[in-house]
Amino acid sequence: MSLSRIWVILRKDLALGPRSPIFLYAVALPVVLTAIFQLAFGSLFDPEPRMAVVDDGASQITSSLRELEGVELTVLDSAEALRQGVEANDHDVGLVLPAGFDDAVRAGQEPPLEMYVSGGSLAADRMILSVTTIDLIRAVEGGAPPVDVELVQTGDAGLPISVRLVPVLVMYALFVAGTFVPASSIVDEKIRGTLTAILVTPARVSEVLAAKASLGVLLAFLMSVVTLLLNGAVGSSWAHLLVVVLLGATFTALLGLLIGTVAKDGATLFTIVKSSGILIFGPVIFYLFPEWPQWIARLFPTYWVIDPIWRVAVLGEGLADVWVPMVVAVGLGGLLVLLVRRLSGRMLARATAAS
Amino acid sequence: MTEAAISVQGLRYSYGDLEAVKGISFDVAPGEILGFLGPNGAGKSTTIKMLTGQLPPSGGSATVLGYDVGTGSSQMQARIGVCFEEKNLYVTMSAKENLEFFASLYGIKNPDADGVLRRVGLADRATDRVKTFSKGMRQRMMISRAFINTPDVLFLDEPTDGLDPTTAAAIRTTIQEEADRGVAVLLTTHDMFEADQLSDRVAFINGGEIVALDTPENLKLAYGSRSVKVRLRDGDGVREENLPLDDGSASARLAELATSPALLTMHTEEATLEHIFIQLTGRGLAG
Repeated sequence: MSLSRIWVILRKDLALGPRSPIFLYAVALPVVLTAIFQLAFGSLFDPEPRMAVVDDGASQITSSLRELEGVELTVLDSAEALRQGVEANDHDVGLVLPAGFDDAVRAGQEPPLEMYVSGGSLAADRMILSVTTIDLIRAVEGGAPPVDVELVQTGDAGLPISVRLVPVLVMYALFVAGTFVPASSIVDEKIRGTLTAILVTPARVSEVLAAKASLGVLLAFLMSVVTLLLNGAVGSSWAHLLVVVLLGATFTALLGLLIGTVAKDGATLFTIVKSSGILIFGPVIFYLFPEWPQWIARLFPTYWVIDPIWRVAVLGEGLADVWVPMVVAVGLGGLLVLLVRRLSGRMLARATAAS
Repeated sequence: MTEAAISVQGLRYSYGDLEAVKGISFDVAPGEILGFLGPNGAGKSTTIKMLTGQLPPSGGSATVLGYDVGTGSSQMQARIGVCFEEKNLYVTMSAKENLEFFASLYGIKNPDADGVLRRVGLADRATDRVKTFSKGMRQRMMISRAFINTPDVLFLDEPTDGLDPTTAAAIRTTIQEEADRGVAVLLTTHDMFEADQLSDRVAFINGGEIVALDTPENLKLAYGSRSVKVRLRDGDGVREENLPLDDGSASARLAELATSPALLTMHTEEATLEHIFIQLTGRGLAG
């Protein structure tokens, strides 16, 4: 097998990509779907409330704000800069803490506090920041709160729908870019007879398939990472994330080779793709409905590649936590390689006989 | 004696129960053009597929440039050029991109794509996408692709199909130039004029078997008959007579007609390859 010939064929496919509607579809779909879902359900990209502070006296309130999760804090030097920032809606709320503010509060005085609210801020963000400020001032005062707040959760515990949609989006990115692009590329070469033209040069069918697989892996990997980035689901380790995404991209690309070798024309390809949709997307439906029996998802082959991505990208787990599904995915990938090798000879004979 | 560029011995191929090629044998020497003639389904394309490494032979043996087509196809394919009947080009790529891509598969670093396109009259369309090309231009692209690796053996399947007479003549000249530089050419065509003009030898294949293989002249001598067609004024009309030349029976009649005031035209008639093929197989080449 010649790596240079694989690169020549891959380079040709990459060059032809922008001229292919399916290639463009693969690139655009995850981005468009992410945009639609974010508009419909919100997302991990929802901005945190933005608080700006001018602190002239090293207030305890500023240090407490720094430690708070869920509030984006900006410390500025001048009250004028703060006012301008709030007016421009760069900050939802601005707070000017004069020197000696904490001491005055502790002494039971009622020192003036300048608080600016942006007209363009969301009401929910104003409310959060106002209540937070009052709580922090009360903490400085050292007094007991006037009421005890007991939190009572209603509804099932779980992740918001915007997060549970991430596997759907990633599966789309993997399937269209990793499976559909190489499969349609192989079928297109068969239909146009260009596969035969390649195979009367020194290029081998294994090199053609390796190039198509590389195309699928590359595109699926890129589009999955882009999709995860757009959804803010990057887990706690980039290295771990890239490993599980690469595994998913490789698996779906091998699936694309299998479909491409089996399908003899465009009609067969679309029939296979349509009929295999439930097998491929089955497991991601279970992420949307956590009340369903989750063990059923494990019956689908693609579960074993999407689950590590879900757990590493969304739940923040590491490779040590997902080695079992990864091993299963590698095993299934090996099975796909064997099937493709077995079927590629038949594909070659059929393509040759038809030409 | 020069070693044959293509050597075929008892070659067979079966599609399931259907035996498409039934033990054919022939050689093509370097610099020789062998016309491979036969109707559709005769086994021409299957033979070429075996010789170009696309199909493994079911039986017999064949070597191209000394390589066994069944086992040494990669090295062999590096030195052959194939022009398919089907216009299997990348239509969204330019002419030059097509040639450069295929040259890269042969490991050619700096292919002379412009030079090859110039030979087939497409130099001015080098950067145009193939999908904008006419049928004839695509056919010329097919020829140019077969030339891109400067092959030692050319397999040309209907190379002038769809070309206008002027372009077809130019392509034939190019093929002859390749043969003159020592390239062995296996040419399949339905065009008897082309086969007659280009081929050093022709093989008639029918039903998977070679029924005749010789030079066009020898085939005509062996199987054809010569005659003279005369047109005579006959009252207000014109009548024709065919006079055989091979048996001498028409000598007196020819002498008589030569001085007859009724004689309008007199043409010698030669046997054509198609006539010979029909005579040998009982079927025409087009079918």
